[in-house]
Amino acid sequence: MGATGMGRDLAGAIATRVGTGLTADCTGLAIDDKRNLMQTRPAFGGNIMATIMCDKFRPQMSTVRPNVMPMPEYKQGAEGTLVRDPFTVPEENILTKVIEIIHDAHGKGVVDITAAEFIVSGGRGMMGPDNFAMLQELADELGGVVGASRSAVDAGWMPGDRQVGQTGKTVRPKIYIACGISGAIQHLVGMQDSDMVIAINRDRQAPIFEVATYGIVGDLFQVIPAITKTIRELKQKK
Amino acid sequence: MTPSPIIFTPLLIAALAVFAWGCWKRFSLISLGQAEDRFDNIGTRIHEMLLYAFGQKRVIAKPFGFNHLVIFWTFIILMVANGEFLLHGVFPSIALTKLPDGIYLPLVFILDFVSLIALLAVAVAAIRRMISPPYPEARTLEAFFILSLIAILMLAYFGINAAKIARMQGGALNAAQNWMPVSSRFAMLIVSTEARQVFIISWWVHAFALFAFMCYLPHSKHMHILTAIPNCFFKRLEKPNSQPRENFAIGGSFGIDQVDRYSWKDLLDSFSCTECGRCQNVCPASITGKPLNPRGVIHDIKVNLLNNGGRLKRGEKPGTPLIGDGGEGSISEESIWGCTTCGACMEACPVFIEQMPKIIQLRRHLVETDARFPEELLNLFENMEGRSNPWGIAPTERSKWCSQLDVKAFDKDTTEYLFYVGCAGSFDSRSKHVSVAIAQLLDRAGVSWGILGKDEKCCGDSVRRLGNEYVFDRMARENVATFKEKGIRKVITQCPHCFSTLKNDYRQYGLELEVIHHSELLRNLVQDGYIKLDKTTQDMGAIVFHDSCYLGRHNDVYDAPREVIKAATGRAPIEMDRNGNNAFCCGAGGGRMWMEEHTGERINLTRVKEAVIDKPDTICVACPYCLTMFEDGLKDIKVEGVKVRDVAEVMAEAVFR
Repeated sequence: MGATGMGRDLAGAIATRVGTGLTADCTGLAIDDKRNLMQTRPAFGGNIMATIMCDKFRPQMSTVRPNVMPMPEYKQGAEGTLVRDPFTVPEENILTKVIEIIHDAHGKGVVDITAAEFIVSGGRGMMGPDNFAMLQELADELGGVVGASRSAVDAGWMPGDRQVGQTGKTVRPKIYIACGISGAIQHLVGMQDSDMVIAINRDRQAPIFEVATYGIVGDLFQVIPAITKTIRELKQKK
Repeated sequence: MTPSPIIFTPLLIAALAVFAWGCWKRFSLISLGQAEDRFDNIGTRIHEMLLYAFGQKRVIAKPFGFNHLVIFWTFIILMVANGEFLLHGVFPSIALTKLPDGIYLPLVFILDFVSLIALLAVAVAAIRRMISPPYPEARTLEAFFILSLIAILMLAYFGINAAKIARMQGGALNAAQNWMPVSSRFAMLIVSTEARQVFIISWWVHAFALFAFMCYLPHSKHMHILTAIPNCFFKRLEKPNSQPRENFAIGGSFGIDQVDRYSWKDLLDSFSCTECGRCQNVCPASITGKPLNPRGVIHDIKVNLLNNGGRLKRGEKPGTPLIGDGGEGSISEESIWGCTTCGACMEACPVFIEQMPKIIQLRRHLVETDARFPEELLNLFENMEGRSNPWGIAPTERSKWCSQLDVKAFDKDTTEYLFYVGCAGSFDSRSKHVSVAIAQLLDRAGVSWGILGKDEKCCGDSVRRLGNEYVFDRMARENVATFKEKGIRKVITQCPHCFSTLKNDYRQYGLELEVIHHSELLRNLVQDGYIKLDKTTQDMGAIVFHDSCYLGRHNDVYDAPREVIKAATGRAPIEMDRNGNNAFCCGAGGGRMWMEEHTGERINLTRVKEAVIDKPDTICVACPYCLTMFEDGLKDIKVEGVKVRDVAEVMAEAVFR
C-alpha cells in the first residue's frame, strides 16, 4: 500500500487483523526465488539499509513511501489479474464518521515542514533574519520549505514552527539542505532520517559533515545563490 | 492578688479543648497518608532533631535566621513562666514565688530579661517583614497577627509584674528593682492606686492571649511549632536524590494524583511549612518567572488535604483535584514540568521538607497513567525505549568517539575500572572531546580501564526524573544484568547524572557499585602521584567554576573538581556568589534538557550571566549538560572570548601540552 495517511492507518490495521507482518515505508521491493518479498528500508537513523522478510506468514505486506520508486516502463501486452470486489459495508459497521474537516487556523503563513519533500534549513551561520530570503528563493525553486535550527529560532530569525530538532519537529524530507548549521546532536535528531543531506558550512570540522551525503565547505552566501541560479537555468533548458 | 480560678479554669479547659480538637482534626488527616518507615536509626534521628530543630542549624544559615533562633529559645525559656501562669490560674497555691530565693530571684531575672529580648525580636521581625519581606506575599494578616500576639503577651507579662512592683516598698522593692529590672521600669509608669486595675487587666490580657494562641495555632502556619520538631526527627536520613521503585500492579494507578496517596510524612511536611519562602528564593524555576513555586506546591498539598479530608475519611472521591488548573489546592501541570530536580529547595528548607520527590510523583501519574506530558518528550521516550539513548542513534556508534584511540573493551578478569562514557560522551560532538581527554589521562596514569561499547545503554536518569518508570525500570534491569554478567564492580563516570543514578538509584535493583566521578578520580590520581604535573597551564586564564547539581548538592562532591583545576593551573578557580551547595542550576536536570522553556527568562541564561560577572576567560564545568547549557548560553548572550571547558580538558591541557 502507499504510505499515505490513509495507507499507513489501513495497512497496520489489516496486518493485525490478518495476523501477518508489515514493513512500513519501504524504499525498495523485490521478490526472491522462494517467493519471499524482500522489503528494503533505512534503519537505525539511516545508518544502514535493512532488507526484511516475512517468511512465516502470508500475505506479505508493506507500505511504500510516495515518490520513492521510479515509475516503471510501460510494457506492451503485459497482463495481470485485476480483482474488483464490489463489497458493501452496512452503515452500522462503520464505527467512525467524518463529520467535519477543520483546517488548522493558527494563522497565515503557518507551514507544516514535516510534510515537505525538500527543506532548506538555516542556522546560526545565516547571521540574520533577512538572509533567510535567500533560502526561501531556493526553496521556492525546489518546491520546498524553509526550516531552521534552534539557534535561528532562539535569535528570533524564524518562527518556532520551523524549528527542526530534538525539541522541534522531526522531518524526513527527500533532500535536507543545512546552511550554516553546525550539526549539534540536538539538531541531527530532527533530520537524520532525511533521504539526502546536503551541508554547507564554513567550518570544515562542523559535525554536520559527518552525517551529510554531500558537504560543501564554503561561504553559504556564495554557494546558495549559485545553486539557486543553476537550478533556474536547468529548469529553463527543459 | 489572683483573679478567680472559678472563672479561669473553665475558660482554660475550653481553650485546651478547642486546641486539642483543632490539632486532632489536622493530625488525623496525616494518618490518611500511606505507610512509610521513618523510625529507623532512632539515635541518629534524635541527633538530627537536636541539631536542626533545637540548634536551628539551617535557620541560622541565613543571617536574619538568628532572629528566629532568639524567638525560638525565648519561647522555650518562657514556657516556664507561661506554664506557671496557667497552673497558678487554676491552683493559686502554685507559684514561682514559693521557690527559695536562691532559685527564684535568678529565675525571675532571666524571665524578665528574656521577655524583653522576645519583645524586641518580634518587633524586628515585624519591621523586617514590612520593609523587606522574604517574598512580597509574605506580608499577610496572619503573620502580623501572630507577631502582635506575641508582643501583647510580653507586654502583659511586664504589666503583671510592674503592677505588683508598683505596690512594693522597702526590701521587697529593692529586690524587685535588682532582679526584675525591665518590669521595674514599667512599674515606674504606674501610680500605686491604679496598680490593682493594671494587674487585673494585664493578667486577663495575658490569659486571653494564651487562649487565643491555643485556639488559633492549629489553623495557621504557627502550627509549625508543633510539627517542625517532629519533622526534623522524621527527616530522610539519606539524601533524597532517588525515587522509590514503581509498584507495577495490574489495574493499579501509578504515580500520585490524589493527596492521600502521599505518605504520612509527605502530609506532615505540608503542615510543617512555615512559609518562610527560602525554597522559592533558590528555585531556578521560580527565580526565572516560571509558575513552579516549591512553597506553593507544599501549600497546595495542605489545602488539598484540608479540602478533601472529610470526603477521603468517608471513603469518597476527592472534590478538589490535586493536579489541576493551579487554583488553591491544585497544582498546575506547567508547574509540575518546570522542576529541574536541582534540589536547592530541599537544601534550603530549615525543617527538611522534601518538595522535589512530591513533584516527581505527580509526574509519574501524568506520564504513566494519563499519558499527558509535553510533546517534546515523545521523541525522548521513543528513542530511549527503542535505541537506549536520547537521540535515537544506533548503539553501534557508541565507540565512534574512540575510533582514533586504542580503547579496550571491559574484561572481567583483566580490567579494574569500567569507564561508563554516557550518552553525551559517546554521541555529542562537544562531549566527545571530554571523553577523549579523560581516556588520555587514564592511560597516562596507567589506570586499568575498559568500556562497554555498543553494550552500553543509557543510565535512564532523564526518564526516571520525568516520571517514566516504565522505561526506566526496563533500562535499569538491563543495565544491572549487564553489569552483573560482566562482573563490573568499579565504575568511572563522565557525567554526574550517570554518577548519581548508578550510585544511588541502581541500588534498588540489587547492584552495589563503587562509582566515582571523573573529577574525583583525576584528583585522586594527581594526589597519589599517578599523574605527574610538572607544569601548570596558564592558557585557560581566569577560571570560574560551576557546581553541577547532581555532583555537588545531590552527592556532596564539591572539592574534587576544584582541586583538579588548582592542580592543573596552579590557582583555585573564581567562585560565583551562588556556589557550592547554594549553586544555581544550569537548567538541564529533571529531563528539562529535552524540553522547551516557554515562560520567563531561560534558566541557563540567568546562570551564564552570573558566570561572566567577574569577566573570566574560562568557565569550568564537570558535566555534559552544563557544558551544553553554558556554550549555548554564551552564544545567546553574545559574549565573546569566554571558553567553556570540562575539568578533564583543563587537566589534559596541563599534562599533554
